[in-house]
Amino acid sequence: MKKIYLHPIPVRLWHWINVLGFIILIITGIQIRYGNIIRLFSFETAVDIHSWTGFILIANYCIWLFYYFLTFKIKIYIPPITHPIKFAKDSIRQAIFYGYGIFVGDPNPHHPTPDNKFNPMQKISYLMIMMLLIPVQIITGLFLWDPKLFSKWINLVGGIQIVDMMHVLLFIFFSAFIVVHFYLATLGHTPLAHIKAMFTGYEEEEEEEEHAAGHSH
Amino acid sequence: MSKRKKILIALFLVFLIIPVYSTMAKGALSPDAQMCIGCHSNKDLTKQLENKETLSLYVNGDEFANSVHNPTSCAGCHTDISMANHPQVKKVASKKEYSANASKSCSMCHPNEMLKKKPMHGYVITQPKAPACAECHGAHSIKRIADWKARISEEHYCLTCHKPDLSMRLGSGETLSLSVNESDLKKSVHKGIQCSVCHTGFSKTEHPYRTFKTKRDFTATVSKSCTMCHTDAQLKKKPIHADLITAAKATTCVECHGSHSIKRMSELKPTVKENQYCLTCHKHKLSMPLKSGESLSLSVDESVIRKSVHDKLQCSACHIGFSKTEHPKRVFESKRKYSVSASDMCKKCHENANKLYEESIHLSQLKSGNLKSSTCTDCHGSHSMAKATTDKTLGLLSCNKCHGEINNVYKTSVHGEALTKAKENAPTCASCHNAHDVKVTARTTKMKDACLKCHKDADNLHKKWLSNPPIKLSSFAGLHLDTIACATCHSPGAGGGVYLTLYDKKTGYPFPEEKVLKLLKTDSAGLVKKIDTNEDGNVDAREVWNFTQRLKRKGADVTLRAIMDVRTGIEAHQLTAKAKAVKECEKCHQADSHFFKNVYIVLSKADGKPTLYTAQQGILNSPFSVLPVNKFYALGSSNIKLLDILFIIAVIGGLCVPIGHITLRVITKPIRHLRKMGKGVKK
Repeated sequence: MKKIYLHPIPVRLWHWINVLGFIILIITGIQIRYGNIIRLFSFETAVDIHSWTGFILIANYCIWLFYYFLTFKIKIYIPPITHPIKFAKDSIRQAIFYGYGIFVGDPNPHHPTPDNKFNPMQKISYLMIMMLLIPVQIITGLFLWDPKLFSKWINLVGGIQIVDMMHVLLFIFFSAFIVVHFYLATLGHTPLAHIKAMFTGYEEEEEEEEHAAGHSH
Repeated sequence: MSKRKKILIALFLVFLIIPVYSTMAKGALSPDAQMCIGCHSNKDLTKQLENKETLSLYVNGDEFANSVHNPTSCAGCHTDISMANHPQVKKVASKKEYSANASKSCSMCHPNEMLKKKPMHGYVITQPKAPACAECHGAHSIKRIADWKARISEEHYCLTCHKPDLSMRLGSGETLSLSVNESDLKKSVHKGIQCSVCHTGFSKTEHPYRTFKTKRDFTATVSKSCTMCHTDAQLKKKPIHADLITAAKATTCVECHGSHSIKRMSELKPTVKENQYCLTCHKHKLSMPLKSGESLSLSVDESVIRKSVHDKLQCSACHIGFSKTEHPKRVFESKRKYSVSASDMCKKCHENANKLYEESIHLSQLKSGNLKSSTCTDCHGSHSMAKATTDKTLGLLSCNKCHGEINNVYKTSVHGEALTKAKENAPTCASCHNAHDVKVTARTTKMKDACLKCHKDADNLHKKWLSNPPIKLSSFAGLHLDTIACATCHSPGAGGGVYLTLYDKKTGYPFPEEKVLKLLKTDSAGLVKKIDTNEDGNVDAREVWNFTQRLKRKGADVTLRAIMDVRTGIEAHQLTAKAKAVKECEKCHQADSHFFKNVYIVLSKADGKPTLYTAQQGILNSPFSVLPVNKFYALGSSNIKLLDILFIIAVIGGLCVPIGHITLRVITKPIRHLRKMGKGVKK
């Protein structure tokens, strides 16, 4: 069993703040939207917590952005543009693994290293999430936080209804994503392996001789 | 003696005897009287009375000597004066009191029974304010009535009694003055005409006793005499005059022209001011019949004009076309139409106010045929014209003529209470609705501006509690104030609704209903069917979508803007102190909020008057509303239901992925086990 230092402290911190923040945002978001069904706290409290958490996560996103750009580690998110066919093949291989190989005991085709942390599917989805979906969620969230302040921008988007719709659609996506994300995190060599790694920073990988299967996200 | 001598002697005797006889016939003063006259023949002998009047003590000895009372001598009447006590210091209040006291002596010889023998005389002397004997009959020059009557003119005879303060109590309780101002009479056009010419039946010998119920009865009777000289044809020559005198309750001649002081009109006109000239007739009960059958009062209370802000204006300043020489004859449909046309005159001077009024709902309502809508005179009055700025209650009173139901609520509101407590800044109707440019406020955001006139800095005041952390921005409170009418929260007991008004995106103003009708080539009745296409009485989201799309296809760039407001004018006025205002977000931000159960589509007419179409409950939760109502969204209450379904699917789907995957892993576990045991893992 070899140990790879995959998750530096800033990344781990960012990740767990995000975890907590997302859960709070989803719960308060549900409270805001379904106040007539759920009554965990008042609308006002829900909005207060949602707004505070939102701003904390904006700051958290900025930390992530600065960390990854300043350390040039952002490249781990970027698919190899120069080798698109290889990347496509690798993606299909990874999909086949999750859809078939994992059941028949095939090893995970991807072996993470600090420089190549994500498998091709992760790369595409995390790049989309971090560079498009989270920013859109942040911006629409900001617009909803004070629609009058951002009214010009809101009108450009097509009105507050559209802004809210985008925010809610992404909320739906992230709610579903979190479930899948959590499940995928249990697909390490042990169910808690990846989760543990997210605390310690060290991903344990079985030696090839041991014919281990499963890899981190 | 010749015949000739006899005649000469007779003539001599006649010429000799007549002067002697006449000297003998002339009364001689008694010694006592001579003594009194000794002093009282001095014309400068006067007495200063307590009321500062000067009482002449002069007595014309000759006149007294020839009077009927010469034999009585002075002491016969002045019983309190003798040589022993005269002259004495005697306080006399007034001439009136003096003659009243002096007249008491008369009854010593002329007992009451005798004085009451003639009914008119009896009536006069028994009146509470009856003139004293001396006032009519004089004092020292009294002649035997028969002689006196024969000698003096009728006018002099009548004025003997009618010059002093003489009046008569009428059946109505009114007091009819019977006094005649001699100097006025002498200046009048009727001077020289004997009293009995007009007062038929009266003369020096005849004075019938008449009673009247009212002054008007009296003047009507007296005025009949006028027609003896002034013929009907002459009187009806001028159309207005003809109308006046032929009206059912025609004004009597005397009411307008006066009685004893009548002047020739050509003489009167230049001497009186215009207002006085107009009031000559219009201060009396005048009215004119209207086509509607109503009667329009043409009477003007002079005292009211004097108190008005127009007290310095001439009548013709407002009543254009009328003057001392011009009095056109006009015909009006109804009282209301007269008021409306009269108010049109105001703009001549009040240009600015009129400009504002032209933009008001009141004028547009008038123009559209609603004659009940208010004009200048409805609020400001006509001849009583008062300044509304100095009289706060004027606004209230005039508005309440039509909007009385609002007043009951207003009185109990925080604003009404402030007025009751006489707070200087207490708002009345015009404070919020403006005085002249009164606009439709229902279902608009206009009222906010009115509120903010006094409640300045509302955004910042609201942000103290209405903010979104972590930063308190006034824009967040402002967002609420832009969309929610103040009364929605500040009239806590009021119901409310969401009003979706059709707006023109290009102009930023409501898209007028008239334009919609034109574009869709329909009328108001037809429009309902064009909006509520399934005619179920509710407009649903799809119908709104179709309606807006249809307008867009016709080139109208429209959108629906929402405001949250109370439902009635009464609710809008029951404002309470801010401590009682709604602060709970859930009142609006919850799916079952009553506001979102009452949604209306609003089409405003050009004058701002809204037409409401009830929308189906949940219209704002339909995906069809996303684009037509793209500028309104209330967290928690206008959720698009489709997204909720999507959320449930996504959560279920999200859960299904791991569950399915785990299931497959469990099922395929033997395969992996076999591979691990047998073949080993593929490289």
